[in-house]
Amino acid sequence: MSSITLKTIASFVILVLSQVFIFNQMNLLGYINPMLYVLFLVHYRFDQNQTLFIFIGFLLGFFIDFMSQTGGAHIIASLSASFFRPFIIRNAFGITAELPKSFQSASRVLNKIVFLLFFILLHHLIYFIVVYFSWDAFSLILKSTALTAFFSLLLIVIISSLFKSTK
Amino acid sequence: MQRIINALVQFRNPILYFFLLGFSLLFLSSRSSFHQNKIGELGFYFSSGLYKFSNSINQYFDLKEKNRILHQENTQLKALALKKNAPFIYDAYLGNPKRFPFKIRNANVIKNSLLNQRNYIIIDKGTEDGVQTEMGVITSNGILGIVKSVSKKYASVISLLHQDLKINVRFKHSDAFGSLVWKGKSPTEFSVEDIVSSAQLQLGDTIVTGGMSSYFPYGIPLGTITQLENDINSGFYMMTAELFENPSEVYAAYVIENKFKEEIDFLNKEVKP
Repeated sequence: MSSITLKTIASFVILVLSQVFIFNQMNLLGYINPMLYVLFLVHYRFDQNQTLFIFIGFLLGFFIDFMSQTGGAHIIASLSASFFRPFIIRNAFGITAELPKSFQSASRVLNKIVFLLFFILLHHLIYFIVVYFSWDAFSLILKSTALTAFFSLLLIVIISSLFKSTK
Repeated sequence: MQRIINALVQFRNPILYFFLLGFSLLFLSSRSSFHQNKIGELGFYFSSGLYKFSNSINQYFDLKEKNRILHQENTQLKALALKKNAPFIYDAYLGNPKRFPFKIRNANVIKNSLLNQRNYIIIDKGTEDGVQTEMGVITSNGILGIVKSVSKKYASVISLLHQDLKINVRFKHSDAFGSLVWKGKSPTEFSVEDIVSSAQLQLGDTIVTGGMSSYFPYGIPLGTITQLENDINSGFYMMTAELFENPSEVYAAYVIENKFKEEIDFLNKEVKP
């Protein structure tokens, strides 16, 4: 087992635990719980097997839902986000240019921000659509998505800047 | 086979995604009753349209059978209604059950005409179904005619639209009686003859069958008076009636059998010189 695999497994466990026991209890402004575990889906290497990645996204959501006793919104959101990640990568980093091998190794800051923004917005939008699951709550969905995505983005940018790329 | 496997390998990501999505939806609905209801509603929304479509197709193919059942049911109801209609004429005496000697069968009109002055109708019931000559034929809203001749499976009927056919009629609110005869033009325009001018009648009075012939029971509503003229010279009314139902547009009919017809005919023969 390579060290990259070990690190991936470790970060998976740590992110799941911290999400369930820390970030799901935050209730910023009364109801905002930033979702840090998206960080795992962001930092997972871009050049890995996509099929495996979809399954990992599913497992990530499953563990979070399972441990925090919520319905299945995290599963659907993280599964869909991991399925749509290649499209967002292609659109954020450009089709003609050589795609970076991972989020860490990408050089252009603007592209990284665009990628993060779209990825987090997509994930949160799907999450809140599943949570509210009603056309009547449309404005509520948009509001929660925007606010939570802002805090998640902030948190993810801060935490990923703490860890420098090993490569 | 190789191509199928190739396609499966090529689309493994979407396949995996949708498979896991389905699984997570199941997970979601099993853990949250709110989502279970919502997903159920969603499924109902889509399936109800589909069910409606398939149901309408099924119904379309069932129509013939349904029609037959309804016609049969109507036959029974018609018998009850006619029996109810016959309050005094067939009452034997107080406390006895009403004498209602009529039996009703259903039939379909398979040929009809209105262009001649003497029209005939063919129905799809014959001797095999118990239809005999000189039975009355009625419809849901009036009468159609009298059976003229019968074959095994079919019978021809003298239509009400036949200038030689006279039907004994009465009025709902008057005991005067006369005969209904077709004028020969409009299929719903009839004249009522032989009503004595002493009877109290008004425009719009309902005409019903008189029950004096052995063909039709008393009290089948036929139409209303549309023109009324008291001809003092002859002592009879000149009257025009409008039928409730156009006899040329009828498809479902009921054949009426009078069980005491022979007795009545025998007596009629005795009386006639």
